[in-house]
Amino acid sequence: MDKGIGRDAGIFLIACVCGIASGMFGIGGGVLLVPLLVLLFSFSQHRAQGTSLVALIPPTGALALVAYAREGFVSWKTGLLLIPGVFVGGILGGRLAEKLKPQRMRQVFAGILFALGTWQAFSAWWR
Amino acid sequence: MTLIILLLGLGVGVLVGLLGIGGGVVLVPALVYLLGMDQHLAQGTSLFILLPPIGLGALIEYWKQSRVDLRAGILCALGMLLGAFGGSLVALPMPSRHLQGLFGCFLMVSAILLWRKAQPGHGPTVAEGESAHG
Repeated sequence: MDKGIGRDAGIFLIACVCGIASGMFGIGGGVLLVPLLVLLFSFSQHRAQGTSLVALIPPTGALALVAYAREGFVSWKTGLLLIPGVFVGGILGGRLAEKLKPQRMRQVFAGILFALGTWQAFSAWWR
Repeated sequence: MTLIILLLGLGVGVLVGLLGIGGGVVLVPALVYLLGMDQHLAQGTSLFILLPPIGLGALIEYWKQSRVDLRAGILCALGMLLGAFGGSLVALPMPSRHLQGLFGCFLMVSAILLWRKAQPGHGPTVAEGESAHG
């Protein structure tokens, strides 16, 4: 992958795609961004994860949140209760990531994610 | 119930730091199945949780090990800001049932991508990576 403008434009485009997923599914988008940075732009695994965390610092979902809130689709109380745990957990996870072999962890996570996805699709369409 | 929610947050946070993701991908199904939320409500709440810089603590850990590409990160943030707004316009008028099904499909695709990049990539390190863990 050549450096410079082409690479920047490519990364920006990929980020737009991740953003669409983020707004559609109410997620951060990192779950898509990390593998795409590794696969398409040959980032190392740790570097892709660190870069994805940068992209998650600014409130990238702010515009989407406003759209959801306008329809009454936000549970503010549950959200407020979840935030401190996620923050503290993030520090623990970041420390853990340098000690653990991320290879295995990621495959376990991918497995769980696949099972969750299958469950969601099934309970939605074949109830 | 409050305790469950607090612990859920902690668990999701560990994944945030470990995998460099936002955590919404786990939060949304957890809110749907553990707290019985409707798909739209779960997604809106997840977006709310992602608003403050919850990943900052994790980012600092990565920064200390200089495993951050700041320029690419900023570009990604810009793209995601725009994309997320577009995505919400698609999702909001959709029936909750179909949104939930699509979310499931999205999770499966993400899982496959995650698994794929977990395989040692192109290059001479393949054999080494394969034998690293039995």
